[in-house]
Order: sequence, then structure tokens, then C-alpha cells
Amino acid sequence: MADYKAVVIGGGPAGLAAALAAADKGAGTLIIERENRLGGILKQCIHDGFGVIRFGEKLSGCEYAQRFIDKVKAHPGIEVRLLTFVIDIKKSDIFTITATSSRGIETITAENLIFANGCRERTARQVNIHGTRPAGVMTAGVAQNYVNLQGVLPGKRCVILGSGDIGLIMARRLTLEGARVLGVYEAKSTPSGLTRNIVQCLHDFDIPLHLSKTVKRVFGHGRLEAVEVCSVNDKMEYIDGTEEIIPCDTLIVSVGLIPENELAESLNIPLDPRTRGPFVDQNMMTLEDGVYSVGNCLHVHDLVDYVSETAETAGRAAAGSKAPRELLDIEQEGFLYLVPQKLDLDSLAPETVFYFRTAMPREAATLDVTVDGEVVFSKKYQNLKPPEMERVEVPLSPKKGQTVKFFLSGREVK
Amino acid sequence: MPDIKKIQKILKKNGFGNITVSEMLGGVRLTGELSSYEDILECGRLAVDKKNSRGVINDIKLTGFTPKPMRVPPVNDLAYDGRRPDVLIVGGGIVGSAIARELSKYDISVMLCEKEYDLAVAQSSRNDGMIHAGIDLKPNSIKVKYNMRGNKLYNTLSKELDVPISKVGQYVLFTSPWQKLVYPFVVARARKNDIPIRYVKQKELDAKVPGLKFRHGGMFFAGAGIVCPYLMTVALAECAVKNGAEVCLNTAVLDIEREGDRIVSVTTNRGRIYPKVVVNAAGIFSDVIAEKAGDRHFTIHPRKGVEAILDKKAAGITDSVLGRFALKTSTGKQHTKGGGIVRTIDGNILVGPNAIETPEREDDSTTCESLNEVLHKQQGLTSELKRSDIITYFAGTRAATYEEEFIVEKSPYVKNFVQAAGIQSPGITAAPAIAEDITAFCVQILSEGRKVEPKKNFDPYRKGITRVKELPPEERDALIKKNPDYGIIICRCEEVSKGEILDAIRAPIPATTIDAIKRRVRAGMGRCQGGFCSPIITRLIAEECGKSLLEVCKKGPGSELNVAYTKEVDYGGL
Amino acid sequence: MRLVCIVCPNSCLLEVEKTDAGVKVTGNKCKRGITFAIEEVTAPKRSLTTTVRTVFENFPVAPVRTNGEIPKEKIPAVMAYLKTVVADKRYKAGDVICGNVLDTGVDIIITIDMDQEG
Repeated sequence: MADYKAVVIGGGPAGLAAALAAADKGAGTLIIERENRLGGILKQCIHDGFGVIRFGEKLSGCEYAQRFIDKVKAHPGIEVRLLTFVIDIKKSDIFTITATSSRGIETITAENLIFANGCRERTARQVNIHGTRPAGVMTAGVAQNYVNLQGVLPGKRCVILGSGDIGLIMARRLTLEGARVLGVYEAKSTPSGLTRNIVQCLHDFDIPLHLSKTVKRVFGHGRLEAVEVCSVNDKMEYIDGTEEIIPCDTLIVSVGLIPENELAESLNIPLDPRTRGPFVDQNMMTLEDGVYSVGNCLHVHDLVDYVSETAETAGRAAAGSKAPRELLDIEQEGFLYLVPQKLDLDSLAPETVFYFRTAMPREAATLDVTVDGEVVFSKKYQNLKPPEMERVEVPLSPKKGQTVKFFLSGREVK
Repeated sequence: MPDIKKIQKILKKNGFGNITVSEMLGGVRLTGELSSYEDILECGRLAVDKKNSRGVINDIKLTGFTPKPMRVPPVNDLAYDGRRPDVLIVGGGIVGSAIARELSKYDISVMLCEKEYDLAVAQSSRNDGMIHAGIDLKPNSIKVKYNMRGNKLYNTLSKELDVPISKVGQYVLFTSPWQKLVYPFVVARARKNDIPIRYVKQKELDAKVPGLKFRHGGMFFAGAGIVCPYLMTVALAECAVKNGAEVCLNTAVLDIEREGDRIVSVTTNRGRIYPKVVVNAAGIFSDVIAEKAGDRHFTIHPRKGVEAILDKKAAGITDSVLGRFALKTSTGKQHTKGGGIVRTIDGNILVGPNAIETPEREDDSTTCESLNEVLHKQQGLTSELKRSDIITYFAGTRAATYEEEFIVEKSPYVKNFVQAAGIQSPGITAAPAIAEDITAFCVQILSEGRKVEPKKNFDPYRKGITRVKELPPEERDALIKKNPDYGIIICRCEEVSKGEILDAIRAPIPATTIDAIKRRVRAGMGRCQGGFCSPIITRLIAEECGKSLLEVCKKGPGSELNVAYTKEVDYGGL
Repeated sequence: MRLVCIVCPNSCLLEVEKTDAGVKVTGNKCKRGITFAIEEVTAPKRSLTTTVRTVFENFPVAPVRTNGEIPKEKIPAVMAYLKTVVADKRYKAGDVICGNVLDTGVDIIITIDMDQEG
């Protein structure tokens, strides 16, 4: 007998929703959170736009998290351990988790595990930025923590690398607090963030966006003194002679998020190189029976609403009784990625929810789903962009041995 | 005495007739102007005469180039003004710190001044942490002497100072079939230096190292090991402090005043100090300090190297040290360090370094080209080395002299000046041994004035910060029960607890900056590079040191992490 | 003219045409897009999210937002005003800390329960 039916690792939006769904189904549930508060990264996401789909409201990240936190705290079926860090997981017929906290080293057993431990930011050095190592070079998340949680401003004159949503949001945030944002640089030829953020974070404050340009080097010993920006071609190679030195004291890098799966890897759970998260079935169960993956450690989402949705799917499944699975691979073409990548034929609902990103910007696109070559589902899209994740419900009931294929087509937008 | 005419002739023959050669302090001084830095280096190399000359003093100007002045911390006070230590050590790298500890075995007062915000900021942290077996060193050289002695001392030091070392050995691979033929000569040389060596068949290598590209066997040197070089530096200095020495950070030597053949005072940015003996352990600036003291008989020509650090996930590449066999040319024109792949004591893979001559002493910037060079070269060794595993990279400059030799001496010209200069690879290994001789020199000089006795209560031990992660669960649990802070993880990538970070801040030499804490306990050294923990550590430093968040620095003064409180400023954003 | 709707993350591309009959909007996936477009070309409005200072050491700033939209041009004035606002008690998410800010008819509300560790 395990201590808990479900142990959720991570108390951010994914973990909170998964725990609630599991506990609602009667599962004894534990949330293990490494920080001193629930909410995960939403604690520092004070901007709004969260919950439009789920609540029909534009909440701030903190508020969105608060709604779940309130429910978790009130739920008799959920225990929470804060400032508790998982150091080891062993698998037998149940899972044995070893965790450290101010109480000491504890072992906790679980029937099911739900990984909800989020992602980390790619750093300046991981995008090949060279030069010195001064203060003033930081990821957007670090800047956000300083400004929104600690109430300090990390710089006066800022350059932002990366047009992902966090970079754009931070451009506005720093501007509102008095810093001067000199420009946002994006190595790709199209912005990475949502268009609405380009408008309300950059255009509203006259912050220039420079596409196909990147930061190559940084200067300064104590504090950052300048950055060298440079144009790049579509192969991301520097174009000689386009270098330009921009004096500034802060470089904020927002160059992508990497799902954190070190714990999953320690259990030898296979990861999808496209998502950098585990392969999962429609219940968000990984290829290891009883282990689920949700939220940004499964794949990096752009909307928290979908994080909650998938987490609930996993939570509900983890509350159910264990049954052998009949897994079917889904073939895919034209996607950056598609989740889930597998179907458990033994637990199929009439409709299965899929999340995907297109491999490239497309117009007049079509999603076709075929079973043994026959189109069983088709959907048209006016516009598809890689930064914007799509959600689609597909009625699917293939049989064992059949071939299921997702195919995305449409005019590529240059 | 150097044969000036002969050297003049050699230079002329090589097309440098416009260079003036003269004798200075028993060395060979070169003056003039050249437009190529490579030519200046070449002149320096040509002027080497180890037998007759104390060294090459290469004062040839590079046309149109003015080197950047030494970085001096933006601190100006009189904290150490009027102090009269028996010995003042200039430089807080591993050499200076080892000397401080060795000196603290005597009943004398010892001060160490370091211009940076922490110890081991330059060469002593910017290296691969190898305890060298000594194989590529010339028999009878000063380097090999100190290397072999130092290598032995490490076994005791590791225990006394609670700094782990691991004698993992070093594999040197043959890159072509004919290299095998040289093996007997290598053995003969190794025997001379008392270095254990054995031949390794390809089969053994393949079992040890996956994806090896060279297929011709190699050699194994069991004497090689690894250590965390900055942890060892800090440990040496902390032990010295425990025994009464004083470490003065952010303290730069600006001038040295002499009367006749003796130093009377040393001017720093934090006041004038009146030491009885001055020790030059100034690394990359050791010739600058020598000049100020009045005995510059050598030249440091900085040689930069770049290293890449890989994610611990890549640790499977090797569990020891991998390098390739290279025969050095006798002219030694291109002094290239072969570089290699090292698994550090902490389980990261280090790749590099390369060797690039630069006129700037403090150029620790990296370039894309340089990183690529390092990576491509070592990718030639094993197919397991992947760019995507790189988590960060760094560069440093080595304190090379034209003689490519250490200077460990009591100055014949300045009676109370002792030098440990030109220390580069294998300086980490050699430092403890160098410290023994330097200390003997200091004691000798001080004994002229009074009797110098060993300190009766010298304590050779120093306890390091417990790496909680590495304790067995029961011990870890017990420790947390005693101090709950050891249970709270702040740096998730390296699994560093709050207790360890507080230990670093409260250490005998307090680590009160983000980077100093990183070097003590590895917080921020993992794959997220401080993305999650740096704001928390910023706050811990502020709380613990009674500072405001705005005063917390990444490195030394001038590297503050935040510029203002929100809602209080307007830099023109809105 | 072309506008990107910023009401929700869908970011609809709107075609806005001023005619004698008023403003004609196409490209919107929902009716909120029409309201947005009309406002955007006549009197653009934004919601504002920021923080206010608190008196609590372990919770130095608290997140706040407008509970409706304010005229875009008033953002600097509201930000300046909020510099003077200090949260001196442990507010709950949704509590109004500053009613009818600068006569905009919109309140500033706290967006987190402040009874937690900072």
C-alpha cells in the first residue's frame, strides 16, 4: 500500500490542477513543492491575460494561481509539502520518493507520479553569446523575479534578446518601472511571441523590434557596458559587417524554455526530441506505467489554460485504477510537435484532445487525420504560427494494428 | 651575464636589427618598436638564454597599442594604512594562498592582498583543475621539481584542508601508429622524473572511453589527478586565516617604495603598508609587481585559453583525463597547449583549453571562434562530445614568461623581496611546493632581524563546507535535524542547500557575492546557470550581511545586480 | 486600417474601415473584437498590471491590476500615482486598494493573497 494514490511533483499551475482533479476523484494526493509558496512561476507573472479560455476573464498570473491555491488549501484530499525537494525516485511496484526539507530526509511512496516540475530558461551562453561575464546579463525570468517579487530594478538601459512572450512582457514591465528599453532583438525573421504582446508591450511604448538580428557579444567587466548586435541570415549565421555596438547596462535574454526532465530521465522515461518532454498517451501517461507528465515539463505551453486542462486529464487518470495499456503510435507530418504522441486504445474517449504547433507559419492550412489512409477528421485553419499552440478535439477510435496519421498542410508563409 | 652581442646577432639574423638589446638586472632587455605582436613575441623567444641570463625583459612597443591599465577596484579607503606585517604577499591566487598558509606556520604576522573581490579569480579558477603527473615537463626544470613535490603534497593537503582530490590518472592517446615507437623514450623520461607510466591497449581505452576516434592505443599516467582549484585556493587561505594571517580583498598594490636595496612600504588603494618582506605572487601581473619592487628581470606575455563546461549528463565521456600525445618541436615557436577533456571533481566535463597570445593581461572574454576551435579539436578525440551539452564557457590568461619557466627566488637586488612569478601550468600542482621554498626565503630574511620560530599552536586542519548532497541519507538527515537549513534546497541544478550558502557567507573568508558563493558551494553552476537561485541568493546575501538588495554584487564593487528600487526612478522609459 | 486584436491571445487580425455609417470591422472571431477595434481607433484603452509597495519585509511588493480598462494615455499618470500607494495590510486577491484611480472609474485591485511568505 502506498502512502498516496498520487504524488504531484511541482506546485505550479500544472501541479495544482492535477492534484485537484486527482483528489476530486477520491485519490489521496500529495503536492511536493520546492519553493516556499504554491503557484510556481505564476507567482511572478503579474501581467494579465491568464484564464480567458477557462474563466472568461483576463486574470493576472497570480490571480489565476490563487484560484487553484484556494481550492487546494480547502481540499481535504490534498496535502502540500512546501520547501521540499525531491532528490531521488525509485520504482518497484510502487514509487518511492526521497525528498529533503527542513524536516529532514523523508521517503514517500506513491501509486502514481505526476511530474509537473516545469521548465527552465535557456541562458545567454547557451545561445552562443560571447565576450565577458559582467553583472547585468540575465534571463527574463530572473529580471521578472527581481522586479515583481523583490521590487528592485535590474537595469537602467536594457536590451532584450528574444521576442518570446516573457521577453515582450518584461520590455513593458521594465518600461513601466522607469527603465529604458532600447529594443527587442530577434534572431528569427518572425516574432516568437503572441501578436497581442507585440502590440501592447512594444508598440504601445514605442519599443523597436529588430528581426533577424541577434546579440553576439557583451562588454564590460563589473557591470555590462554594451552589447554587440549583428544581423543573421535564415541559417542563423552572422552576416559580417552588420555588427553594431549598443551601450546599455542590461541584457535580458528570453530565448526559449527547456522542459525540466532530469527526474523523468532518472527513471529512464523516453523523451520526445521535438517537445523535449516525455512521450505521452492521451491521459498524459508517459511510457512508464503510472508516471504522468503535465504542464511545461511535458511541452512548453503558451497558455496556462491548456496547462490546467491537460493536468486535469492526468489527475483524473491517476485517480483511476491501474490497467494495462494498448499503446498505438501516432504518425505525424508538418508539425513542430504534436501531443499526445501515443494513444492508449484501452482508455479512449469518444473524442481525444490534441495540442500541436505547426512546423512553420502557414496560411489556409488543413489538418487531416487518417486511419489506415482514410481521412477520419479534417479541420481548416486561416493562419498557423509556430509560437501559437493549437488545441483540437478529434473523434478517434482506431483498432490495434491500424495506422493513425496526423498531417498538416498549407501554404508556407515566408 | 648574458651575451648581449650574441643575442643582437640572432635578432638581426631574424630580421629584427632595429631592436636594441641591453643588459638589465642580469637579464636581457629588448627595446624598440614593432608593428606586429607576433614579431615582438618572436624577439622575446629569440632572446632566451637560460644559462647565462636571468630572463628576457621584452620592452618592445607594439605600434599604436597601449595596454589597458590594471583593473583596480573602485575602493579607496585607509583600511590597512600604517600596518606593519612581517610579510606582505601580493596576490591571492593558489600560489599566494599556499604561501600564506605555509608562512602561518611561523610566529610572524602575514598579510595577503588581492586586488579582486575574492581569491582565485584569475588563473587559479580559470584552469582545468588537474594535478599534473608531470610527463610533459622537461627533466631538471624548475617546473618539474615543484610539480613532482606538489603532486605528493596534495595527498596530505586534501585531508588537512578537507578538499577532495581524485587521482583518476590521465590517458594520453597516440594519434598515429608511428607514435607508439616513441613509447620507450617517454618511459625513459618518465623514469627520470619518477613518474608512473604504463602502456594502454586500444581495447582498454575503448572500454574506458566511448566513441574514441584514435585507434592506436596510448599511455596511462596514474599520478595525475583532479582537484577543484578555487576550492583548494580558498581552503589554503582560510587555513592561513585560522592561523592568524590576514586576507585583504579588493586591495591592489599601486606602488612599492624603496630605500636603497630594501622595500620600505607598499602603497595600495586601501592605505600604505610597511612590510618587512614582500612576496610577489601576482600571477599575470607578477612582472609589473617586480618592476615596482625593482627587480623585473622577466616578462609576462599573457597566453589566453578558453574552456567549455558541459552538463553533468555528459559525464559519461570520461571519468578521468584525456589528452593526445604530441611531440614538442625543439624550437618551441608555437607554444600550444594540447588541451584535452577532463572530468572535474564535481562531475562536469571540461573541454579545452587552447592557447592564444594576447597583449592584454586581463582579457578574459571568449569568442565564438575560440570556443569552436576548442570544441572541434576535442571532437577529434571522441564522437561523444556534443555542442548541445555545453552549459557555459570561460577564458583566462596564463602568466607565461619567455623562458616558459617558473621563477621562485629571493631577489639578489632587493633584499626583502621574494618572487613566485611566471607561474602558469602546472601551477596548481606546484603551488604547495613553491610555498615551501618561498616561506624558507622569507624566514631567512626575517631571521636577520630576529629569531623566527615555528608557531606552536599551528593548526593544519580546516573544515570545508559540508556538501550535503553527497552525504549518505542517514547522515544527511541527522545534519538537517541539527540545522534545518541544510534541508532546504536553493540551487536545484546542483542541489545546494540554504545551509551551505549561509556557511559560505559566514566562512572565515566570507563569500558575499553571487560569484564567490558559486565558487564555494556551486550554487548557480548547473545547467540553469543561476536562473532560479540567483534572486534567492541575492536576498540571502542582503539579509545575512545587513545590506540592501541594491548593494549585492555579482563580483566586486561595480557589479551591483540591481540599480534601484522600483517606483523610485525614471530612466526615461515611460 | 489593420489592427491586431489584443483582447485575448487569439490575436485576430482585424480590418477596420471608417465609413459614414460608423466603423466597420472584419476578421474578428468574436464580438469583443468589434468593440476593441472601435475603441482602438477612437479612444484606445488598456488594462494595467503592476505592483505597489508594501510595509512587509518578506513581501516587499504586491501585484495589482486595474479591474477594467483605462485610457491608454493615462498609463504614465496612474503609474506615477501608484508610486505613492503602499499596501499596509495583508490584502486578499481581489481586494480594492485604490478605488476609482485618478477618476478613471476603474479600481486598482490586489491580485494575490498577501498572507503568504514573500
